Amino acid sequence: MMKKSTVMMFGTVSSAIVLAACGGAEADTKDQVIIYSNADDEAIEVMQTTLDKKGYEGKYIIQSFGTSELGGKMMAEGKDIEADVVTMASYFIESAQTSKSMFVELSSDLKPLDGGSTYALPILGNVGSIFINTDLLAQKGLPVPQTIKDLTKPEYKDLVSFPNILDSSTGWLLVQAIMSEYGEKEGKQVLADLIKNAGPHIESSGSGPIKKVKTGEVAAGFGLRIQAIDAKNEGLPIDYIDPTEGNFTLTESVAVVDKEGDEALASEIAKVIATEARADLLKQYPVALYEGEQVEEKYVPKYLKKWDTTLTVDLLEKHQTFFKEAQQ
Amino acid sequence: MLKTNKMVKILFLPIVFFFLFFLIVPLLYMFWQSLKKGNSITIQNYVEALQSVEIREAFLNSFQVSFVAAVITTCLAFALAYAMHFTTMNQHLKKLVHIGVTLPMLLPTITYGFVLLYTFGNQGILTKLLGQPLVTIYGFNGLLIGYVLYTLPVAFILMQNSMQYIDKRFLLVSMLMHDRPSRRFYHTVFRPMIGTIGGAFILTFILSFTDFGIPASVGGGYKVIATELYQAMLGSIVRFEQGAVISVLMLVPAVLGIVMLSVLDRFNFQYKHVSQSALAVHRLRDNTFTVLSLVCVSVIFIIFSTMFIVPFTKGYPYDFSFTLEHVQNVLAEKNLTRVYMNSLIVAFFTAILGVCIAFVSALLNVRTPLKGRSTLDFASMITNTVPGMVLGLSYLFFFNGSSLKGTFFIIIAYTVVHFFTTPYLMAKNSLQKMDPTWEVTGELLKDSWLQTVIRVILPNIRPTIFQMFSYYFLNAMVTVSGVIFLVSTKTMLVSTRIKELQHFAKYTDIFVLSIFILCTNLIVKLGCDYITTNKEKFKEM
Repeated sequence: MMKKSTVMMFGTVSSAIVLAACGGAEADTKDQVIIYSNADDEAIEVMQTTLDKKGYEGKYIIQSFGTSELGGKMMAEGKDIEADVVTMASYFIESAQTSKSMFVELSSDLKPLDGGSTYALPILGNVGSIFINTDLLAQKGLPVPQTIKDLTKPEYKDLVSFPNILDSSTGWLLVQAIMSEYGEKEGKQVLADLIKNAGPHIESSGSGPIKKVKTGEVAAGFGLRIQAIDAKNEGLPIDYIDPTEGNFTLTESVAVVDKEGDEALASEIAKVIATEARADLLKQYPVALYEGEQVEEKYVPKYLKKWDTTLTVDLLEKHQTFFKEAQQ
Repeated sequence: MLKTNKMVKILFLPIVFFFLFFLIVPLLYMFWQSLKKGNSITIQNYVEALQSVEIREAFLNSFQVSFVAAVITTCLAFALAYAMHFTTMNQHLKKLVHIGVTLPMLLPTITYGFVLLYTFGNQGILTKLLGQPLVTIYGFNGLLIGYVLYTLPVAFILMQNSMQYIDKRFLLVSMLMHDRPSRRFYHTVFRPMIGTIGGAFILTFILSFTDFGIPASVGGGYKVIATELYQAMLGSIVRFEQGAVISVLMLVPAVLGIVMLSVLDRFNFQYKHVSQSALAVHRLRDNTFTVLSLVCVSVIFIIFSTMFIVPFTKGYPYDFSFTLEHVQNVLAEKNLTRVYMNSLIVAFFTAILGVCIAFVSALLNVRTPLKGRSTLDFASMITNTVPGMVLGLSYLFFFNGSSLKGTFFIIIAYTVVHFFTTPYLMAKNSLQKMDPTWEVTGELLKDSWLQTVIRVILPNIRPTIFQMFSYYFLNAMVTVSGVIFLVSTKTMLVSTRIKELQHFAKYTDIFVLSIFILCTNLIVKLGCDYITTNKEKFKEM
């Protein structure tokens, strides 16, 4: 008698535990490639559609992160990272490879314009610019800004939005432009005034500012040039302005994490992203990265500039400190 | 008295191990981590943290905003509970107040922030109606409103419960003695409620102090301790030691709060017999509280109505025409439906496992003479003290590198432990009320202890079991604070996915997912309530 009821009681308790554990075990099955990506949702959509079209549907999961979040994870976890494939700002992949050697060789016959590396393939390039909500600007009677410095004027108080360099690589494009034009001392003042003007509208995501400009939360913003072009083409009251300080660029690349020989599917998927998805990505982010690629006239910014040294995580941290000092 | 039998010990062991592995050891391990610097043991980390301007500022900010929020919430909750019990307000309105105030409990706190943005922001619905923004919502104001919304239900339920046990005859006596109204209020309502008021204040303070969802959504540039902790652990430069230090610091107010709660407990007294006597009609009083209640409930409904407006309009704020497009998009996205299923799995198994553990713990504590059963009370006290973020973080430290990392099980274990106190106390209360001689009678009739439990105790406690199930399920659906440290790509939950959608500023998706959570929770809650009340009615017959 006793035995029967013992079994019953234990049955209920343990079956719950076992079932729960099964749920956990199920999540551990190693048939899906996990892709960690810092890309904007437009880019992720392109990757998804391409992969699905190529028959990889259900064989991968994409997990998005902010650039800094993903960067922190890569630097802290190295090879132990959950992801099999990473798409990320190129300078971050380079630095992670240097300090953690966490990526495997990714051979291909592609010819990147910047020479490229053996373990990563560039997938898209970003250009920064100013954009405005023309309706709100007119409504508030504000002049159209021509430079980043214009946005530090008091009449733009609480009407400017830009991405935070501490979280977003698009934010770095802004800081690069300011530092290269005004140098350390004046640059810090410009940045401090800009921070004051933006107030609560300093965004953690690179696509935050354009959304705020679109909804009319703010009148002007800094972000990716292409987002403003798209919004304008949609018929929204948005326009883009190339700041005279310069349109700086960043590339993002894809790399495969070292999983001790278990990288076949991951490498396949990474290559599909770099090759098959490239055509659509080029449309979304019109910056030529490979030999033979061409973009339309209107996509070429007026003041295209490049930082004069190689971009590294160390340089980013230096600029982040610079930003924090301006915040004080 | 019964003798401890083997069965009781067999049941006790796994529970002790569970709390050891999923509560005590991880916390100690985290404490250990906070003392480590390289290979040496020092308090250097604490010194550094306390010297850091940012952390000090965040701590102070957290303290300030939580304090103000706790004051407002406590006053509001008292007034609303007073309106429920000591005024002759319309019965239907009373019901409406109850529903309205407790409704936000069914949503993750991170949603509150976005709802506030869409109500008070530059393009918010209220701003559109008024022509200009009422307040700047980012930072202090947003946090304050968010915290009040978040903690009001808890404080309200506490006050309501206490007020039920206040004898209303004393009001009549006081009136016959020609007391001044202020004196009458003080002696018949305020004085008996002091313990509860203090308790509600401390509880709301701690809840606000340790919440992550609201600052994550409307914090803006206003630094609070919860976002600092997140930055240290998942930000651009990961500093594990600093994270450990911050979470130990976060424990301090919580521990102090619990100590104060036990002191306040002395002020709680109960009337032996509570008699219900009719309240005298008092126009001014009743009308004032009716207006107050109406205002409160309307504000809550207005704020949360944005959640239902935005996802069903084509292009907020430009195109207000109705559309189901956004909802369909969300439904079509495999990622989102997968995440929703994950949440359901976690909530369901949390509820099952949680009810088992809480019930057996309460059973062993109340109805057996088992040695060491008071450790269970101790466990429940600790789970009540430790903030979710701190517990989640301690798991991250302790289970990092083990095979449990990134599984559903670890999330379920976290949720079971974190929300253990309330269901445990619910079960304890019910079990204490039952006749203490049942087990003895059962033994005389040659039933084993376990048979008595299954045949007699379980059927009698069934309504409470359903309430415990519903409590666990609801909280597992909405919790954010601790699970952000525990989810992996394959175990992503709706509440944590919202954090990710925030990164892309996909507010419509956030609202659609929030509506999913709300509906799921409503169904479960109403279902459990229905079963409970039905059973009770049946018993009365």
